[in-house]
Amino acid sequence: MSEPSLVIGRGKERFQEPLTFLKCLECGTENSRPFKEADYVLKVVEDEKCPKCGSMKSKIVNIYVPEKKTPK
Amino acid sequence: MVAEFLAFLNPATGTDNVLSFLLSLIWIAFLMIFFLYPSFGQRMQLSYMLRDLEKKLNRLKAIKDEIHRVTVDTIKRVGRPEKDPTPEIDRLSEFFIIQPESMDPYGLVYKLEHILETGERTYENEVAKIAPHATEHQVKSLTNLVEVLRGINTLYRVVRHYYLLGRKTSNIYMVLQIQMVLPMIIEIAESYQQAATAFSKGQPIGDGVGPLVAAKLADGREKERYEIAKDTIVQEVEIENRKVYVVRAAGPGGTVGRPGEAVKQLIERLPENPKLIVTIDAALKLEGEETGKIAEGVGVAIGGPGVDKYKIEELARSRGIPLHAFVIFQSITEAITPMRESIAKSADVVIEKVRQLILEKVNGGETVVVAGIGNTIGVGV
Repeated sequence: MSEPSLVIGRGKERFQEPLTFLKCLECGTENSRPFKEADYVLKVVEDEKCPKCGSMKSKIVNIYVPEKKTPK
Repeated sequence: MVAEFLAFLNPATGTDNVLSFLLSLIWIAFLMIFFLYPSFGQRMQLSYMLRDLEKKLNRLKAIKDEIHRVTVDTIKRVGRPEKDPTPEIDRLSEFFIIQPESMDPYGLVYKLEHILETGERTYENEVAKIAPHATEHQVKSLTNLVEVLRGINTLYRVVRHYYLLGRKTSNIYMVLQIQMVLPMIIEIAESYQQAATAFSKGQPIGDGVGPLVAAKLADGREKERYEIAKDTIVQEVEIENRKVYVVRAAGPGGTVGRPGEAVKQLIERLPENPKLIVTIDAALKLEGEETGKIAEGVGVAIGGPGVDKYKIEELARSRGIPLHAFVIFQSITEAITPMRESIAKSADVVIEKVRQLILEKVNGGETVVVAGIGNTIGVGV
């Protein structure tokens, strides 16, 4: 999973950008990338290649800001 | 020269202990001020408070200006208007809705509904006019964005009013009241700033967890879909021989739809009463509580002005339909800013809980209504 990019403002004003999670409709592999405008949950994306099987059809299954894992 | 002056001030060498005399004079002057001007301390405190208030007011103004810039830029980019939309946006940021008169409470809910619907329609039409190239869903998200601007504008104006009034009247109690709540106001303003970014890009927000649950529940199972009330759809699905009517606002544009009217219309159209009405919504957590925590109860889980809640309650009472609710806890900031991982993950847990509830309380062949409540921005169908 890639690290979310930080945008807007300085110092403590920085906001985290959400990630988009896509599920390949062929092999079911899930992968994520930074959110792009026009992304929405349940959208079928037909112009992005699945990193595993190479299929061009995937569905957006989630969009959220990942939480930083605190060490226990 | 310097050595002579120091010697003059030195009590051991100086003439008649000049330093001691000067210090005494200063102390006497101070005491006189406190005796003759008893509110001097309060005046000093007031000036400190006003300075603090001024700093925070400037922060609020900076946030307001930033949201204004985001709104203008987004409308220019998405709506591609022919002329500069700034004067129109400024006009919309001052838009108001007058609450109905409640001296006679009879029919108050429907009067409120009428006023709110008129306001919503007017606002949407105005935004559509200044963003002629925006799609229907984009207009809804832009309307949300302008509403955020209206919210921060009102906050700024109210705080400025109390600051100026406090300064004009030198009323420490007035200044104290606004100073006490200002940290919370600043926090809300900062949430607005993040919300503006989310609405400008169409990102799902924490409040959208209700529609997210509904969307995922119906995904891949949908048999039929139709619009039942403005911006609100019903998706008919089947779960182990139980017919489930999933009600939610139609995304991915930013709208909450009319869930109350939708559930009412739906149940009135059904040949027999559903066995259960389940509502799923985001709820405000208390400090110290975990974000994304799920709680279960009875009643109608719908916030807002109360019109939708009233309609479902009234209908359920008259027909004796049990009301069940699931809420997902989050802070006010999390509700209006891009959805956090814990909230998104809790949606999957709620789906399983709803499924279990349906299997437990509804027999095969019977029907149930499940309504996902919240802003559906970034959540498609």
